[in-house]
Amino acid sequence: MTTRTYLIKEGYDNLKKHGSKTFSTMLIICATMLVLGIFIILFQNVNKNVETVRLEQGLQAFIDDTATDDEIEYMQDEIKQIEGVKEVKYIDKDMAYEDAKEAFKDQEYFLEGLDKVDIFPASFVVTFSNIDQSSTIKTAVEKVDGIYKVKYNETTIQAVISVSKIVNIFLLGVGAVLLIVSIFIISNTIKLAVYSNKREIFIMRYIGATNKFIRTPFVIEGTIMGLVSAIISFIVISIAYVLIYARIPKVGSSLGVFGFLPYSTLWYQILIVYVFLGLFIGIFGSAISIKKYLKA
Amino acid sequence: MIEFVNVKKEYNHDVVALDNISLNIGKGEFAFLVGPSGSGKSTFLKLMIKEEEPTSGKILIDGKDIGKLKNKDIPFLRRKIGFVFQDFRLLYDRDVYENISFALRVIECSEREIKTQVKNVLEMVGLSGKEKYYPNQLSGGEQQRVALARALAPKPPIIIADEPTGNLDPITAEEIFKTLLDINARGTTILVVTHAKDIVNTLNRRVIALDHGKIVKDEQKGGY
Ligand SMILES: Nc1ncnc2c1ncn2[C@@H]1O[C@H](COP(=O)(O)OP(=O)(O)OP(=O)(O)O)[C@@H](O)[C@H]1O
Ligand SMILES: [Mg+2]
Repeated sequence: MTTRTYLIKEGYDNLKKHGSKTFSTMLIICATMLVLGIFIILFQNVNKNVETVRLEQGLQAFIDDTATDDEIEYMQDEIKQIEGVKEVKYIDKDMAYEDAKEAFKDQEYFLEGLDKVDIFPASFVVTFSNIDQSSTIKTAVEKVDGIYKVKYNETTIQAVISVSKIVNIFLLGVGAVLLIVSIFIISNTIKLAVYSNKREIFIMRYIGATNKFIRTPFVIEGTIMGLVSAIISFIVISIAYVLIYARIPKVGSSLGVFGFLPYSTLWYQILIVYVFLGLFIGIFGSAISIKKYLKA
Repeated sequence: MIEFVNVKKEYNHDVVALDNISLNIGKGEFAFLVGPSGSGKSTFLKLMIKEEEPTSGKILIDGKDIGKLKNKDIPFLRRKIGFVFQDFRLLYDRDVYENISFALRVIECSEREIKTQVKNVLEMVGLSGKEKYYPNQLSGGEQQRVALARALAPKPPIIIADEPTGNLDPITAEEIFKTLLDINARGTTILVVTHAKDIVNTLNRRVIALDHGKIVKDEQKGGY
């Protein structure tokens, strides 16, 4: 048995010695991870949908009223040359007015008496060949002379985006609180283990154990709890997602319909976050609880 | 091996536990530290392993000024000094073998080294064959010998003992001192705090006597 295997065994023995405490600790860590997992899933799904809609609908660049026809033509050429731009369609004031009439078909009184020139500016509709460049294209278009405003054409999913923003903030808040609770709980559990080994630690210090040697079994105990919780959470959330996914629409199935990503594009992100979170909670939680016993 | 230079130790700015102590214990020496209760004996030992810091003065162990050690070096100082306590300080949920091998694990010995060294020290203290016993299954004298074996296992050049026979009957105490003399004969420097007057008188070794934190006697072949 090497020193390392000895220290790992000591950490494992501690876990068994406090079985029920270990169990309830891991339950809290799992809850934290599940909430954060749901956050990741929603966040990625909403982002993907926003991207899909942006790719399909592009952005709209509004043109200054003072621009002459020549200038407009020049601008159109300029925008066409931006990398990643697929198409630039010019919409003049009349077309914009027609579009608006179409949109307010049943409430035409809305438009009565409005000076169409001021209300509906001419614009370009710019579509992308590659969604990854959407934000660089947007900045490039904004810099073009004679363009005063640029926005994504994402009206169809605007509601989804704003709801998801609220849900995401809520989930992040709950996740942060649970993360703190997790670290607190795990450090409490480790404190118990440290306490029951107080005599041992005391003697170890007298016979020349380094802080690292004393600390290691407890850090291992915390790390095992963190990692086992990560694996359990990963299995639970994977099964849940796959089951739910089988019953809902897919991304891009039709324009503007909110669809879910296949799990194959999500699982590794969740796994990576879980493993790092498990390590972080385990190592950080145990290190803070052993600290006061290590003062020389 | 152990050198104190003008060492003073005050607790809480008013209790003077050691007052301007200077002495030198050479390599391979065997010395008793005696004195009435509260005279500063335990404080003397605690300063050696940096469990307490001197208020002023300098302490050298193996030629090195321990006042200059950083916190992370303290474990390595303690590995040079085997400490034996009056109350043994064994781990009661581990058997004799584990209690001793513990001290070797701490200094990261290999399993093979641990096996041979535990066997060696058990032989030295006369406890061969008791590896599987738990401390509670042993007599007080045997438990103290396990504690001694644990202190010896990492082969420290210095052994210090704070009233190692305080809880033992005179005959058992004598056996413990015999073992200490054996170990000393192999070259280990030994400093023992004791109230065992008779033994100090018969062994004819160096005796350092403290009273109220001052050295009142230091004789090469002294008595209590
Ligand atoms: N941690 C402490 N805080 C304050 N005072 C202390 C502390 N430790 C020891 N003292 C005081 O220092 C003096 C010397 O104590 P020390 O323990 O060194 O004596 P001792 O010679 O070992 O006594 P004994 O034979 O009873 O073990 C005593 O007056 C004691 O009260
Ligand atoms: Mg004492």
